[in-house]
Amino acid sequence: MSVLRKNKQTVILLAFVLPALLFYAVFTIAPAFGGVWYSLTNWNGLNPTYDMVGFANYTEALTNDPYFIKSVWFTFKYVLYMVVLQNVIALLLAVFVESRRKSKVLFRTIFFMPNMLSLIIGGFMWMFIFTKVLPIIAEKTGLLILDQSWIGDPAFSFYSIVILSLWGGVGYQMVIYIAALQGVPASLREAAAIDGASSLQTFRYVTLPMIYPAVTIGIFLTLSSSFKVFDAVYSLTGGGPGRSTQVIALNIVEEAFKFNQRYGYASAKAIILFVIVLILTVIQLWIMKRREVEA
Amino acid sequence: MAKRKSMLAATGNKTGHAFILLFLFVAAVITLFPIYMAVLNSLKSDGEMLNRVLSFPTSITFGNYADAYHKIDFLRSFWNTIVVTLIGVTGIILFASMAGYKMSRTPGRLSRFLFSLFVLSSLIPFHSILITLVKIAKELKVQGTTYGLGFIYIGLGVALAIFLYHGFVKSIPRDLDEAAVMDGCGEFRLYAAIILPLLMPITATVAILNALWMWNDFLLPLLMLTKSQYYTLLISTNMLFGEYNNDWSAILSSLVLTMLPILLVYLLLQKYILSGIAEGAIKG
Repeated sequence: MSVLRKNKQTVILLAFVLPALLFYAVFTIAPAFGGVWYSLTNWNGLNPTYDMVGFANYTEALTNDPYFIKSVWFTFKYVLYMVVLQNVIALLLAVFVESRRKSKVLFRTIFFMPNMLSLIIGGFMWMFIFTKVLPIIAEKTGLLILDQSWIGDPAFSFYSIVILSLWGGVGYQMVIYIAALQGVPASLREAAAIDGASSLQTFRYVTLPMIYPAVTIGIFLTLSSSFKVFDAVYSLTGGGPGRSTQVIALNIVEEAFKFNQRYGYASAKAIILFVIVLILTVIQLWIMKRREVEA
Repeated sequence: MAKRKSMLAATGNKTGHAFILLFLFVAAVITLFPIYMAVLNSLKSDGEMLNRVLSFPTSITFGNYADAYHKIDFLRSFWNTIVVTLIGVTGIILFASMAGYKMSRTPGRLSRFLFSLFVLSSLIPFHSILITLVKIAKELKVQGTTYGLGFIYIGLGVALAIFLYHGFVKSIPRDLDEAAVMDGCGEFRLYAAIILPLLMPITATVAILNALWMWNDFLLPLLMLTKSQYYTLLISTNMLFGEYNNDWSAILSSLVLTMLPILLVYLLLQKYILSGIAEGAIKG
């Protein structure tokens, strides 16, 4: 290939990539590097100047900010619940829906419906359910367990947030699992059935190993998305009562835009969030990919 | 003995089927319940709603809707949401297909470097770049308007779309490009007239994923759109909720109004939407 032609090729490549690169550089790369830079400063929204403070923001966040540390643990607890419940329920729904013949499409359509809506909308609707409808149902049916302070009591508002998130998120995982189940050849399952395997055994030893890659994806997606949970908490409890249901993302946003406008400090927390998500997802993928190879 | 076993299996199967159906039915009821309650109670008068939450409205009133329609400035909010989504989705489809196609077709270190630059960012959580993004948007004067917000979405969403296009282009035979070039077709015409139509399946996926994201995104518009004339549907609804905290008639009707367009689209296009979601998740 002549040098001339290669140069021409490079120019064409750059011409095609440039528009995308421009938007990407300004609105993704620049803010990413900016975030790291500002996390080392004491910049706040009000003063035009700022100083470098080294890792002071990081040490403050990790040792001297009880609300932030609490929000980290609260988020961990939420992530644990979500990763387990969301994937188990989605897998169950997927297997059950796929076993139906006529009603398959109908059920699939219903279960995915909440995923079309923002969790802000979903949160306001569930707020109505939790505060106005459940007390009435409890009164009418005598199921007093339903009559709780679902939003106002921290012990229950955690579960309200989980219920809302599951309602809004399970359908998405279910669609992934359905796609994976459709990739399992029917002949394999039939062969297992002929060999006398019960449907539970067939699922455990034939279907599950076949869809293992989808489980890896499913857990990866819930893991990374639930660490960033914001809308569900914002719309339902706003982080309250007090700051008892505050998650990391909400803590960062309030630090930056509501209370103190300590942009530099909030940036440091944002980087901590990034590192947590990165480490956990890498570990998860590493473990599960290894098992995939073995399986 | 064998007969008995098969009979047992048959009854086991039957109860199994009944259990599955029951499970699905209960799950469907729980899924639809909040939407049903919102619709039902939005049609009642204030007094009736508080006293008889579960029952059908004695007389259907649309007064709440007229009220909510004005309070969230429905038509304007709706239009703003469309503008943001349209700019974002069109920009992403156009720029990402160009870049993804060309990087996929060009060998060499530069091309590989550019591609990995785009892919790398997928690990960064949005909240980690949010604060600086707001500052940059302010400085570039794109903060505060719908089209500005659309531009920001292009910058945020283009990377994943490039990844999807990059993979898809590999399935298009190269002979096609070469034949077109032989016939004297220019680079850009080759892309626009031959490649872009062939990318249609993945373009549909990209469009669905991004439209859904932008239509339902909340935090970014909340921070970017400060004037009420630019509010999207979600921001208007959120403001209404903040302002009329206990006026459930207005809140529920505005929720139904906000849901209506997207649920209609969903019921019409659900086949394409579900396959687009599955594809995007598995490839992404």
